[in-house]
Amino acid sequence: MSRALRRSIGTLGVAVTLSWCAGAALAQTSSDAETQYGPRDIGGTWERYPTLAGLGSGNNDAPPRPQPQPDPPLKPEYYAEWRKAQDEAAAMTAAGRPPATNYTHCIGEGMPGMMMAMFPMEVLVTGDQVTVIQEAYNQVRRIYVGEEPPPPEDAEPRFAGHSGAHWEGDTLVVETTGIKEYVRYRNVPHSANMRIIERISLLPDRDYMQNEITVIDPEYLTEPWEWTWMYKRWPGYKMQEYICENNLWGSDEDGAATLTIDLDE
Amino acid sequence: MSIQIRRCALAAHALALVVAAPALAHHSFAPYEPDRQIRLHGTVEKFTWQNPHVYIQLRGGEDGGEEQLWLIECANPGILNRVGWKFNLVKEGDEITVVVAPMRNGQPAALLKAIRTADGRVLSNGGPAGPATIPLDPEEVTDAGGQG
Repeated sequence: MSRALRRSIGTLGVAVTLSWCAGAALAQTSSDAETQYGPRDIGGTWERYPTLAGLGSGNNDAPPRPQPQPDPPLKPEYYAEWRKAQDEAAAMTAAGRPPATNYTHCIGEGMPGMMMAMFPMEVLVTGDQVTVIQEAYNQVRRIYVGEEPPPPEDAEPRFAGHSGAHWEGDTLVVETTGIKEYVRYRNVPHSANMRIIERISLLPDRDYMQNEITVIDPEYLTEPWEWTWMYKRWPGYKMQEYICENNLWGSDEDGAATLTIDLDE
Repeated sequence: MSIQIRRCALAAHALALVVAAPALAHHSFAPYEPDRQIRLHGTVEKFTWQNPHVYIQLRGGEDGGEEQLWLIECANPGILNRVGWKFNLVKEGDEITVVVAPMRNGQPAALLKAIRTADGRVLSNGGPAGPATIPLDPEEVTDAGGQG
């Protein structure tokens, strides 16, 4: 385990406690006998939670939603610029001219955004590799269990970066380096040295999974940026193809999303 | 007759990327009227089942209104499959009725909210696009909301 990873684990405190408390409530009504899944069975298809159908979808045993994601703890000189850009984007959106994003240009969000699971997500566990497929834009990331990711200076910048992992009990602890600097989740700037730690674990009933994320980037952040994303198992769902083959949207001179077609007959 | 694609704007600005947290799907729905929906009836000139959006090109208009060619934006094939659509649900020449939110800037383009197909099926455009707030038929109350 790298030093950065060990440090990060110590910072997870509150988020871990809160989400484990949520899990503990479920544990009272669940046991190995009631589920076909083992404690490390993270493979399968998943949808983000709360789902589009709503929190729990009528299941009274469903876990509570994760805590709201905080704003990034950017250093003051970066926060001011980020806040200004966010406010400008909000104003443009309110005026009906939302800023075009990478998504608008058919470019997947990369890490960590792709783990939000805006579209369904498939996890494949094959030997020492965990593969995550995000349906939107057919995004794929590969996590090598038993390896550490390359140090940032040796990591070719990518959208999904480079991920190594190990198991701590039944929690898969993933460390990711080498994310392209212009791959900016929530428009948050980061350095080439950014590391993302994910602690991925099933809740006790094993139909829900949580991903406790810690972004470590001392060049830009005053402290690690932490939040939790959750997923609900979607047995039987077959992932669909998503090739962005007919994008009619682009951006205008102000960077606003706009149809790039002539609607004249 | 059909809508011609002009790529120059996309090419000119493809590198000027602004990245934000995608809240919904391929793009924000803010270019469409947030509170105004209209009902269009007409004939399908083209149906394209592709990502990132499915499109219906509809020759038609509002009841008693002027006919023109509308570009109706639907969700993507994945979302639509999940709410009961099929790649061949709509065909060229079909007479359909849709409830849509038109573009705020007056272009003849709109975001689908609900559709009645040529054979009478009523479907939503998936959860993220939001429900129809007016009925597909003036004398009906629609329940087309659905989830994506």
